[in-house]
Amino acid sequence: MPAAIRNLRNKPDVLFVRLPNVLSLLCIVVGVVWLLLLPLNEYSRNTYISENALLPGQVHAYFTGSEQNIFRGYKKELEVLLNEGREEGVSQDVAVTPAAHNKVHSILQAAGLKVATQKYEYTSAGITHHGENIYGIIHAPRGDATEAIVLVAAWKTADDELNLKGVTLALTLSRYFKRWSLWSKDIIFLFTPDSKSGTQAWIDAYHDLQPASVQPLPLKSGALQGALVIEFPFEHNFRSLHVVYDGVNGQLPNLDLINTAVAIAGGQMGMGTNLQEMWEHDDSYQARLKTILRGMTKQGLGYATGAHSSFMPYHIDAITLQPKGEGWEDEMALGRTIESLCRSLNNLLEHLHQSFFFYLLMQTNRFVSIGTYLPSAMLIAGNFTIMAIALWMRTGYYSDSKTNAPAEKSESEKSSDTKGQSMTEEKTKGTPVAERLMAMPLTLVSGLHLLGLVPLWMFNTLSHQYFTTATYVFVVVDVVLPLLLAALLSSGLGLSAPIVPQQYLLIKSFTLLLLGLSLSTLATLNFSLSFMIGLLCAPLSFIVRLQSPSAPVRFAVSTIGLLLLNLLSPPIVLLGVCWYTGVSVESVMTQAAFGWDVWGMWTQVVVWCVWWPAWLIGCVVLGSSMF
Amino acid sequence: MITLFRLIQSLSLLLLLIGAVTAEHTSNWAVLVSTSRFWFNYRHLANVLSLYRTVKRLGIPDSQIILMLPDDMACNPRNAFPGTVYSNADRAVDLYGDNIEVDYRGYEVTVENFIRLLTDRLDEDVPRSKRLGSDAGSNVLVYMTGHGGDQFLKFQDAEEIGAWDLADAFGQMWEKKRYHELLFMIDTCQANTMYTHFYSPNIVATGSSELDQSSYSHHADNDVGVAVIDRWTYYVLEFLETQVTSANSKLNLGDLFDSYDESKIHSQPGVRWDLFPGGEPEGRLRTVVDFFGNVQNVEVENANATEPGSLKEDLAEIARLVEKWQKRDEEYSAILGNSSQQHGENQPSESVRLGSKKTGPTRMAEDNSWGKRLVGLSVVGACTAIWVAGSILGRSA
Repeated sequence: MPAAIRNLRNKPDVLFVRLPNVLSLLCIVVGVVWLLLLPLNEYSRNTYISENALLPGQVHAYFTGSEQNIFRGYKKELEVLLNEGREEGVSQDVAVTPAAHNKVHSILQAAGLKVATQKYEYTSAGITHHGENIYGIIHAPRGDATEAIVLVAAWKTADDELNLKGVTLALTLSRYFKRWSLWSKDIIFLFTPDSKSGTQAWIDAYHDLQPASVQPLPLKSGALQGALVIEFPFEHNFRSLHVVYDGVNGQLPNLDLINTAVAIAGGQMGMGTNLQEMWEHDDSYQARLKTILRGMTKQGLGYATGAHSSFMPYHIDAITLQPKGEGWEDEMALGRTIESLCRSLNNLLEHLHQSFFFYLLMQTNRFVSIGTYLPSAMLIAGNFTIMAIALWMRTGYYSDSKTNAPAEKSESEKSSDTKGQSMTEEKTKGTPVAERLMAMPLTLVSGLHLLGLVPLWMFNTLSHQYFTTATYVFVVVDVVLPLLLAALLSSGLGLSAPIVPQQYLLIKSFTLLLLGLSLSTLATLNFSLSFMIGLLCAPLSFIVRLQSPSAPVRFAVSTIGLLLLNLLSPPIVLLGVCWYTGVSVESVMTQAAFGWDVWGMWTQVVVWCVWWPAWLIGCVVLGSSMF
Repeated sequence: MITLFRLIQSLSLLLLLIGAVTAEHTSNWAVLVSTSRFWFNYRHLANVLSLYRTVKRLGIPDSQIILMLPDDMACNPRNAFPGTVYSNADRAVDLYGDNIEVDYRGYEVTVENFIRLLTDRLDEDVPRSKRLGSDAGSNVLVYMTGHGGDQFLKFQDAEEIGAWDLADAFGQMWEKKRYHELLFMIDTCQANTMYTHFYSPNIVATGSSELDQSSYSHHADNDVGVAVIDRWTYYVLEFLETQVTSANSKLNLGDLFDSYDESKIHSQPGVRWDLFPGGEPEGRLRTVVDFFGNVQNVEVENANATEPGSLKEDLAEIARLVEKWQKRDEEYSAILGNSSQQHGENQPSESVRLGSKKTGPTRMAEDNSWGKRLVGLSVVGACTAIWVAGSILGRSA
């Protein structure tokens, strides 16, 4: 082994060029394979309830019988008011008519809750979102009002359907819960006009962090311990319960909350549960992997998947319960599930903290925790760092590409650890070890990263109708800008000294260093986003400035390379995904801008300030071989 | 005269011998400890309260029961039945009824307080209700329940008592003559490890589960929403409630321990006899009510014994003290008398002098009057008769 290392030292070509390439590629391959291994039984675990206090499904749920009559009554009243409102000309875009809105208010008041309202208004991408939240509080009769649970019913579900039965169920439950004396926490019933902005306005105001366009809350309770969102947007009975759990920026609720919901729905109520729209989950490898990947996509994109998502940034565990399918479970079964869930949350003595916050679910009862899956994204991020370090060492080793390995053999052991040392060696022996010319590469790399703020600002402030055009314009910019920069660099325009090959290596080294650093940090926060960006950036590790062949060949090869790279540019990837999923670019960008303005979504920052600069510099390095 | 004296001596010796054989105790104390708080540990408090109810039923008064409850389940807002604690889903008996005396509650239930209680290292200002007033004639029942592990039992949320701590506490109790016999019962996971280090004599110990075994709850009440009792305690209670129906029950510890059914308890309960004089055969003969019931016996001491701590020695010591104080008093009054002579009349000092003259020291001598000996004989005789009658009646019962 020592002999092999000594041998390697004598071959700097292998040590600094081939080996890093092999290692980087290995990292990427292992990283991807690692992810593919996760669904196997050997690498995943069965879920379990960590928090002793939860005791899921240990109580009888009494929400039946006469409560159903109350439910029907409320539903009828609201239905009539909604239809009357429609006839009077309330547009279909608004889910709730003023009369129905007032009815909710009066029902809550009649049930004996303290009721308050909150108006809000958000403007994003030129669209104004406004509405009024209503909420009522049941004060725990024997509790101390220091903690609370939230039940949310939005008039429009996450899929923009009218959530009439969900709202009615919440109203019926508020009347029913009020009569129990066993609550240790206050229970807040929140009715929002939609699933996107209403809860965000409410939760921001609850913590006094609302923007000026959102009213403060006149009525508050204690620290929120958990939130459940009720959806029931159809008339027929349902078969299974779909648990939606992804939060903004890929934050997740404590796994115990999901486990409790699954245990109660599956164990106590005897209905099935689904995750990630996997309606038919046969627990096979493919189904598990698909569930993981769907979860990772949502986590990576970081958008709000329902009204529950807004709670996550405040460390409030929340899930949405969506009835799905055709079956025999009625609204009372959903009500009992929620009752049992509330009793479990009521048992809590402290915030949910025992179980995992970082996990990937592959089945309702199977997961991998961060310790198992994190190496996957870390390896991919690590490949950039390895390459960056190798390039850094190489720039101190070669003065330029013309020097031959034999000439350096004698001093290879001392090599280029410090600049000073290299300098003295250069003087004494006249060997080609160069000083690193860092000023220009550093300026370029940091400048281009700052340039990322321009598209970030642009795509978050433009009005929504310009998004499609702006995206196409940006595609063109992405083609032209690298060539322009490459031409500028090689002509030495504005630079006192002409650019040397070592500087290209340094440029690449710095950008990969920054990329590796950002992605490995990001992996601990949002694994999926780091993984996706890492994969999309993977080719950047292997891009080189072509020098050896003749000019026409270099021109041809780099043109093909640039074309391929352009296929992986942020706007092209966006267009490709939109084309594949059939969603319009405008709606995606509008949603993204809304996420930035309202939810506090950070995905764009990663795209425009980490991915795009790294991609751009990669293109510049490749494009420079043309000139 | 001499023959009669010898007769009394031999009689009392005989009595002492018989007393040693039956090991009569003179009082009963119970220390009932739940060590866990929080709503989901409802069952631990219910365990202790069930046992509390049983020992009260069998006669131990509240003044001789130390009840430690770290949490208040009855008034927990989560309790669907406010003000009550039940140990059975049928909710027939409210354990938190109208006659309950909790001695240590909430955060008072700590390892330190528990050990101080056992070893009586408590401040002077600690009330009697929080003291274990047992003596060398007391049979003590110690029942503990909570969450435990290998050689430890968790107290509340932050501390635990180790098996050695407990063994040393009992060791000190023995040295300080704070128990006559002790029955230690514990219901927790790996409970049997808790009594492995006991070394002081006269202890019978029993636990719910072996090393690496969990103790399980028996059943849950679906309206209260939590498990209400542990399995081992449930079946111990079942025995106590159905078999030991009165304070005169002759069922012994052997019967109680034989009632353990592993298929019902779902763990292997253990019993430790080796610290008990005579081991298992002797220990099995102790009746259940020796520990769960109450006696109020009077210890009749041998009037002629001369060993340290005997009545005669005490009396002689008291006489010596009285004489000493008498002397000091006389000296004092002599000084006072001098001063009164100097300053004129002084009534109080006069009276003191008069008083001291009237009550001379009572002389404790060997030759007591015959009358006193007769009284003593008749008392001893009466006691013997009662004892003989009692044991005959008891056997027939």
